[in-house]
Amino acid sequence: MPIIIISSDSYKTGREIGEKTAKATGYDYVDREILGPVAEKSNVQEEKLIKALDEAPSFLGLSSKLRNKYLAYIQEATLGQLLEDNVVCHGLAAHLYVLGVSHALKVRVLSDPEELASQLSSEAGGSAEKVKKLLKRQDAQRKRWSLEAFDLDETDPSNYDMVINLSQIDPDEAVKTIADMTAYRKFQPMTYSVKCLRDKELASRVRMVLMERFSDVRVQADGSTIVVETKAIKREKQKRTEAIKELAGGIAGVGYVEVHVANDIFRQAAESSR
Amino acid sequence: MAIITISRGSYSKGKEVAEKVAERLGYECISREVLLDASDRFQIPEVKLIRAIHDSPSILDRFNHGKQIFIAYIRSALTCRVAKDKVVYHGLAGHILLTGVPHVLKVRIIADMANRIQAEMQREGISQDQALTLLERDDQERRKWTKNIYGVDPWDSSLYDIVVHIHKLTVSDAVDFICQAATKEQFTTTESYQRKMEDFALACQVKAALVDPFFDVGVTCEYGNVLIYTKASNHQINKLEKMAKRIEKEIEGINNLEVHAGVPVPKNAI
Repeated sequence: MPIIIISSDSYKTGREIGEKTAKATGYDYVDREILGPVAEKSNVQEEKLIKALDEAPSFLGLSSKLRNKYLAYIQEATLGQLLEDNVVCHGLAAHLYVLGVSHALKVRVLSDPEELASQLSSEAGGSAEKVKKLLKRQDAQRKRWSLEAFDLDETDPSNYDMVINLSQIDPDEAVKTIADMTAYRKFQPMTYSVKCLRDKELASRVRMVLMERFSDVRVQADGSTIVVETKAIKREKQKRTEAIKELAGGIAGVGYVEVHVANDIFRQAAESSR
Repeated sequence: MAIITISRGSYSKGKEVAEKVAERLGYECISREVLLDASDRFQIPEVKLIRAIHDSPSILDRFNHGKQIFIAYIRSALTCRVAKDKVVYHGLAGHILLTGVPHVLKVRIIADMANRIQAEMQREGISQDQALTLLERDDQERRKWTKNIYGVDPWDSSLYDIVVHIHKLTVSDAVDFICQAATKEQFTTTESYQRKMEDFALACQVKAALVDPFFDVGVTCEYGNVLIYTKASNHQINKLEKMAKRIEKEIEGINNLEVHAGVPVPKNAI
């Protein structure tokens, strides 16, 4: 059966639609509850994982290196859950990294701006004008966050199969539409699409392990073959290749490891100027 | 019964979706007809109107307000058609030109760039690069136009009720979604909605009649009572009042018409 990925401009709205869709389809619902075990396993505070999902790196907040590391933990756990099938997933940014998996139905739900404004106004207080500005700022922040973290604009409708605006459309009608879509042939798991998801899951597991030592690694998987891309200075290339092969080779499901090390020109220049 | 606007990029199959929706619901499907109506009624060549709603305004346009004048003409023609109800409009800027009408189902159809390029290559007999350049330029012009004139980005999903991506979803799926949504209560034309639509169309007609030379007037209409808001000077107000009196006789459906000067223009004014 398909997997359903819900994205929204408001966490509360997305959760409401996600839960209702899970109920209507009889699927499991996966949300930020999985972050507790992830935090425990990776020895990170759960709040920091939530911060990595919500905020762009800043001077006073998380660094991009840490943010990427935390997102890798979340990605690995989420993809593991999605492999189980019959899942509705929300709040874990899966719409930004489950790409090319044809049985993933991606829907973005936009809240009624007036409802969102009154919700924010009651939470944070302030005039309607102030709330409007706040919402605008939040939208811009989310856009920046998604571009920095995954190089994709999460507000771009072409990243979804459908966008539903709840200003005029009732949430229950939206849920019914999403649930009905799961019966469409194009969203049924095929051998190839399941393989794509498995490859992504394996790549995310390998990346998570490698990121502990090499923060810039990019990993792709094809069956049990892993391709790792990284950067190093000339004299470290051999050492790094061996280290990656050793680390990745010990992970369950990995058969062959191919490592491509590009020249790190900035570090090389810094080293030679010393 | 509803009014449906379908916004689309070139080669995104929006036209096909619109035609099929109209066929299934038994609605009228319009696009170019609106321009022909406007061209006929206001004696403007169609090509000028097309440019007005396609190309972004030049620096000169911003001074002579040419585009605003043409847009008022097109809006007037569109609202006259749409006021008859049961309409699918898939021309440019429907969702913007009909802002304020409550029972309009606003849909955007998007398609993958690769498929659009393929379609353009086949139709025009051009290379992939040329097709990509043309499509990007076309998209850019449409975005610039809407941003310059209405201050919104047409790619912003919040302007629409539904955005359907034709890729995994087919034209037939999109037609199903739209037809289902159109039958919902919130998009059904009630007596009150019809009244509002007729008032809106009347206000657009009055604006179109005044826009040259009074491009900055605001017009509202409620139950056939038309209010014209202006910031014009005393000398111009006399001219405007004379014009307004003439319009009152010429346009059908006006109960009363008043000119208000020196008061703020309401946000819902056209």
